[in-house]
Amino acid sequence: MSIFRSEEHVRNWTTANDQDPGAIVPLAQVWKLAKGWYADPRSRSWRPRSRDELQAVIRSAGLVGDFWELPN
Amino acid sequence: MTTNSDSLRSFVYDHLVANGLPPTLDEIARHFGTTRSSARQKLAALKIGKTILVHPESGEIWMAGPFAAAKTDYQAVAGDRSWWANCAWDMLGIPMVLNEPVQVHTKCTDCGSPMTIDCDPSRPPAEKAVVHFLVPARRWYEDIAFT
Repeated sequence: MSIFRSEEHVRNWTTANDQDPGAIVPLAQVWKLAKGWYADPRSRSWRPRSRDELQAVIRSAGLVGDFWELPN
Repeated sequence: MTTNSDSLRSFVYDHLVANGLPPTLDEIARHFGTTRSSARQKLAALKIGKTILVHPESGEIWMAGPFAAAKTDYQAVAGDRSWWANCAWDMLGIPMVLNEPVQVHTKCTDCGSPMTIDCDPSRPPAEKAVVHFLVPARRWYEDIAFT
């Protein structure tokens, strides 16, 4: 996942590098994803989360649709 | 000292947060009073999803999400400490793990112009940048270095 100044910069890069269009997400929305996804692994209560729990995190960040479906 | 998965995970992240990079196999072995070979086995056996990835050849930590084990285009700084993030998503994960704000020094993947992003665990960044997800979620774990 790479950072770009704007959607226009993403389109420039994907075209120039013959890459798939992928998905473009505003930084603030990726912040929501990171907020739900990451916990402190130094915590005693930390544990890896299940596929369904991670899918719920993705959904709660407003990322829905086929592109955002984790493998079963 | 015995090495269970909790103590090993805690040591890896304590070391990372304090030093900016994950411990080497030698440092893990020294900390737990064991051999390098045993440390490598214990690390490889850590079944915690994709949180800690071990390099298939060297056995050293390759990444310990959201932290990278080597210099990247995403440097997170807090005071006199700094860390490397694996990607734009992970640069936002570092303040969540640390529970403190960091300033990330990065650059636009297209034009290469420098960007500074204030990443705070309590509020979204104000910068109007975007993140490009190249591959769909079903492929995120196929090649985690190319997403």
